[in-house]
Amino acid sequence: ETNKLYCTSVKCCIFELKAELNSDKKEKKKEAVKKVIASMTVGKDVSALFPDVVNCMQTDNLELKKLVYLYLMNYAKSQPDMAIMAVNTFVKDCEDPNPLIRALAVRTMGCIRVDKITEYLCEPLRKCLKDEDPYVRKTAAVCVAKLHDINAQLVEDQGFLDTLKDLISDSNPMVVANAVAALSEISESHPNCNLLDLNPQSINKLLTALNECTEWGQIFILDCLANYTPRDDRESQSICERVTPRLSHANSAVVLSAVKVLMKFMEMLPKDLDYYGTLLKKLAPPLVTLLSAEPELQYVALRNINLIVQKRPEILKHEMKVFFVKYNDPIYVKLEKLDIMIRLASQANIAQVLAELKEYATEVDVDFVRKAVRAIGRCAIKVEQSAERCVSTLLDLIQTKVNYVVQEAIVVIKDIFRKYPNKYESVIATLCENLDSLDEPEARAAMIWIVGEYAERIDNADELLESFLEGFHDESTQVTTQQNTQVLHKHTQNTPDSDNPDLRDRGYIYWRLLSTDPVAAKEVVLAEKPLISEETDLIEPTLLEELICHIGSLASVYHKPPNAFVEGSRGVQHKRLPARTASGESAESPDAGQSVGGVSDAPPAVIPSQGDLLGDLLNLDLAPPSASVPVVPASMQMGVDLLGGGLDSLIAVGLAGGTGGMPAGLGGTPAMGGGLGDLFDLGGGVGMATGSYVPPKAVWLPAMKAKGLEISGTFARRGGGIHMDLSLTNNAMSIMTDFAIQFNRNSFGLAPAGPLQVLTPLAQNQTIDVSLPLNTNGPIMKMEPLNNLQVAVKNNIDVFYFSCQYPISLLFVEDGKMDRQVFLATWKDIPSENETQYQIKDFHLNSDAASTKLQGSNVFTVAKRTVDAQDLLYQSIKLTNGIWALAELRIQSITPNYMTRLRTRASLSLSASLWVQFAMLYDCGFLEGLDHFVVFP
Amino acid sequence: MISQVFILSSQGDHLIYKDFRGEAGKDSINMFYEMVTSLSGAQPPVVMRNKNLNFIHVRHSGLYWVVSTKDNPSPFTIIEFLNRLAALTKDYCGSLSEKSVRMNFALIYELLDEMVDYGYIQTTSTDILKNFIQTEAVTSKPFSLFDLSNVGLFGAETQQSKVAPSAAASRPIVASHGEQGGKNEIFVDVVERLSVVIGSNGVLMKADVEGEIRVKCYLPTCSEMRIGLNEEFSIGKSQLRGYGAAVRVDECSFHQAVKLDEFDTYRILKVCPSQGEQTLMQYQLSDELPCAPPFRLFPTVEKDYGSRYSNDMWLIFIGRIVAINVSVTVPVPKGSLSLSQELSSPEQSAELQPRSKAVLWTIPRFPGGAQLSAVFKVEVPRLSSASLLEVGPISMSFELPKYTCTGLQVRFLRLSPTQPGLSQRWVRYVTHSDSYTIRI
Repeated sequence: ETNKLYCTSVKCCIFELKAELNSDKKEKKKEAVKKVIASMTVGKDVSALFPDVVNCMQTDNLELKKLVYLYLMNYAKSQPDMAIMAVNTFVKDCEDPNPLIRALAVRTMGCIRVDKITEYLCEPLRKCLKDEDPYVRKTAAVCVAKLHDINAQLVEDQGFLDTLKDLISDSNPMVVANAVAALSEISESHPNCNLLDLNPQSINKLLTALNECTEWGQIFILDCLANYTPRDDRESQSICERVTPRLSHANSAVVLSAVKVLMKFMEMLPKDLDYYGTLLKKLAPPLVTLLSAEPELQYVALRNINLIVQKRPEILKHEMKVFFVKYNDPIYVKLEKLDIMIRLASQANIAQVLAELKEYATEVDVDFVRKAVRAIGRCAIKVEQSAERCVSTLLDLIQTKVNYVVQEAIVVIKDIFRKYPNKYESVIATLCENLDSLDEPEARAAMIWIVGEYAERIDNADELLESFLEGFHDESTQVTTQQNTQVLHKHTQNTPDSDNPDLRDRGYIYWRLLSTDPVAAKEVVLAEKPLISEETDLIEPTLLEELICHIGSLASVYHKPPNAFVEGSRGVQHKRLPARTASGESAESPDAGQSVGGVSDAPPAVIPSQGDLLGDLLNLDLAPPSASVPVVPASMQMGVDLLGGGLDSLIAVGLAGGTGGMPAGLGGTPAMGGGLGDLFDLGGGVGMATGSYVPPKAVWLPAMKAKGLEISGTFARRGGGIHMDLSLTNNAMSIMTDFAIQFNRNSFGLAPAGPLQVLTPLAQNQTIDVSLPLNTNGPIMKMEPLNNLQVAVKNNIDVFYFSCQYPISLLFVEDGKMDRQVFLATWKDIPSENETQYQIKDFHLNSDAASTKLQGSNVFTVAKRTVDAQDLLYQSIKLTNGIWALAELRIQSITPNYMTRLRTRASLSLSASLWVQFAMLYDCGFLEGLDHFVVFP
Repeated sequence: MISQVFILSSQGDHLIYKDFRGEAGKDSINMFYEMVTSLSGAQPPVVMRNKNLNFIHVRHSGLYWVVSTKDNPSPFTIIEFLNRLAALTKDYCGSLSEKSVRMNFALIYELLDEMVDYGYIQTTSTDILKNFIQTEAVTSKPFSLFDLSNVGLFGAETQQSKVAPSAAASRPIVASHGEQGGKNEIFVDVVERLSVVIGSNGVLMKADVEGEIRVKCYLPTCSEMRIGLNEEFSIGKSQLRGYGAAVRVDECSFHQAVKLDEFDTYRILKVCPSQGEQTLMQYQLSDELPCAPPFRLFPTVEKDYGSRYSNDMWLIFIGRIVAINVSVTVPVPKGSLSLSQELSSPEQSAELQPRSKAVLWTIPRFPGGAQLSAVFKVEVPRLSSASLLEVGPISMSFELPKYTCTGLQVRFLRLSPTQPGLSQRWVRYVTHSDSYTIRI
């Protein structure tokens, strides 16, 4: 008969219910209200019954009263006028001798989000906050948070915040916990006023309450503690000591909140402290225990452990076995476990791990098997000693001929080849047997790479490649690109001693094909193979730090900072790990790079997480080039040799041959200093309006040196093209005609794209403005300084020589916006020893302004993050010759001085001179800080 | 903070819907249901996100127990809360099913109101809650053994029927006024889950036990219960107590209500049990089992002739007890067509499951010390020696009633003050497989 509650017809119900609600019999009324609530649950509109239900409110039957209140909470908002009818009963109930009714009334009133009612709520709430019964007080404490959400001003005016603060010292731990929870929430919307006022005394109170309250109260208190920053290591240690017992709590939420506090405060403990080691040991068992929970909790725990392992791998380094998968784990748990296994793999446990991974490769689930095979490859790359065993394991797997296993294995073997060149090529024969079964682009691409790379060791390499070429037009870009590269590669390897004209022709054909897309061609051939790195999917250190502060929260499951998924003001505050401020020791900021390293001493670098093959190999954007991008006919004319070694070394020859020293007199050159310096300095400068910066014209050739011809000029980037804007003035006594211009070889191959257009003769004292379009197809030679340009101008009188310097921003192309993934990967790939530090002072632009300004000059902001009132701008720049530059700029609103770290993987000499260029750009006030400035070819 | 709590049937019917903060609309329920039913296998279902709303859910008795939230709360808190909500619903309604939730919606709303206020969890303890809850549970009668909600350790589980009266442990903890007061009973269950990996060479590679002591209490008043464990019980690798076989675990954690002042010396857990179900103690043991793993399996895989291969299995059960519901899952190569089998007794069965690429061999009852053998001949088109490599690790599942792997025993169970004669105390043991893998 209870199923009648879920009656399907609404209209008849409402009529019947109305009658029943007005019945005299209490039982009947109660059943009627229950039916109303049942209808409400399934989504029927029973708001028409509002007056009838409110009439049932005045009853001494608590069960009925609760049901009525349940209804009120749901519908009061849609019927505000009628909700007023209930106010009297609420106010009366707040005075009831029964504490259950007092609490019920104040709880319900807070949930009725109607402005008119809140006015009536204040007085009862004030009384309830000081009620003798703790149950009422704890309910009232939460009610303050409710009221604050509806009308914050009212709460402040009524002084409820102070009463709430007093409740932190309440004798009942439940009340304390709710007061802490309410204050924490309110303070999130007032980040500046220190509502919780955490100081050693109040922390002590909280720690005492921690031992007495319910498990849920403990969570509120621990989360609140996590926001506190202890003054020194001693305080930090004492808090840790008092929090540690929570680690053995049966409620995993308590455990994780405790882990969060400990992970955060540990940061402040000196590592040589005995207690530090003890704490590390204590953290492992509770984390391991979590893995015996049900799959839902396991998954959440694994996501957190993934973070902890990246931050402090030493905690779980002996616990590898607990991450071995069970056959009945859900797939999402298995994949997470696999991830952590690779992170924990080290020389000590590699044998065990490999044995496991090999077993996993025969499981049923395809996704999991693929990831397991990939994991074997990662082991080989991470632990060099195991590489040989990994390769033989992979060969065994290839023998199974299971299609996806074979393809996955080939992809990882290619990575192993890249990490350990010329070591395992004996297996190539086995790989070649499986050519036919490869139907996935990534596997085909990997195989082509291997064949091309080891062409001289494979007798029938050309046949093999040919077989791939048959389906050329059907292939995806990934494979096509790979084919092009490798055909060229092989071709160049063979050219010196190859007498196979067919092969050579084929090479030409593909070269021509490539040259229809010259940018891609150039980049494909020029692309240096980045070293393959050890770790995958590492989280960026600043983000990791922030996530560690959010352990046990949703952020730790999504691996995203809260502001990425929480809207509004809540959660926007950025949390950072505290810096170590030991007593009597100089403060040392936690070096993120160092702490991530952990198991392996070298800081692990990152390769792009998805489609890493393509990303690694080419590191380029294959999007169609914009029309403005200069082409490379010059190098084409230079013939076949350029295709491989030639082009590869083009930049190296051109740019890397310098001395590496600071160019003398750099700062002293007026054009240089002025031109570069002013680049971004002119806030409202002329150039800014149209886009890229244009330095003011400077006199390059004074009249007295050129028999009366004065040339002043500047450089500008307009509409994707480079222009040299010249003003020619005739100070001589005769007419000048027959102007022509030529550039000497220069660093970036700048050359006039057309003749100098001075059509009419230049009369005495006449000035003519000419704009000369330039391209970058000219011959290349490294100049000192790098941006120096030697120009020869001829007229009917003589030939004159002068030199000038162009702003490096002239060479920043429009398609210089790098993909975020590629950016992150490349960024991490630069070894830290190549880092230079640089500091910039007195800067007064905010990040958005800086970003806009820079964008005008083709410095693209790839990503922006805000950490601790610092804006981090990640920017990419692409030069006309394909050199990418990456920058991280830290812009802080408070202090104007910043440390800048510069990194490069290019040869030192190249970087040194480029640095000078870039550093000058940035130094002259256009950006506050320049951090991680990266250049690589 | 919890924004909304809702309970959905497996078909997506709204059983319970409670909005605590008024920050999300009611359409979130359908949003959730659409997301959860369109997930692919590899996507983790636990935490999902749509627009600005995050959903965290667990499943119990086929129902979806869901919390939606707009900020960044602890998923651990919420999952623990949902599990507790399901347990309390079971405690209060007697059993957990779509039907019992439907019948008791008013009770569940009342529970929710006391458990959560404005999204802050207040309490989940029956001791506190019983002071507030007014609504009585509605139970469906007569009680059906086939009611799926009873599957679980407590109550009418088949293998337990000899130990405890069926359905005894699946009634509401609070007897309704109309009925005779329920029996004053208390159940103490020791449950262990065993994970084992045996290598292809027969060597034990990994063995873990996860165990817990659970109590389900129907006593209206009980000031204290004392549970005595084996005195030689020890925790940690170094500690050894007494002589003879050690009963040892690596890690141990206790419910916060458990008093441990007599634990160190006498291995006595003292607790004032709340009404309903709770886990008093959880423990783990890795790698050093006090006994050999209960099952040994000796598989051989040989190529027969043509496209057939033969898989001989020799399964031994070491022990003096009876294992029930034993099943062995043997992977087969992709594309396996048919299976012919030779089994040693009629109640066993074996079946080829092409979708999961496995042969499932089931043995309903397996007496201690027995040896069983089976021969599976599988037809695979285009069989090669490589495809035999796909015959991967064999997994087993089973239950061992009245048995604990660690040897943990309850020596005594005393209630004080001594309950009047009506009270009954039940102590039950069971070990079941969690993941039992034998590699080939």
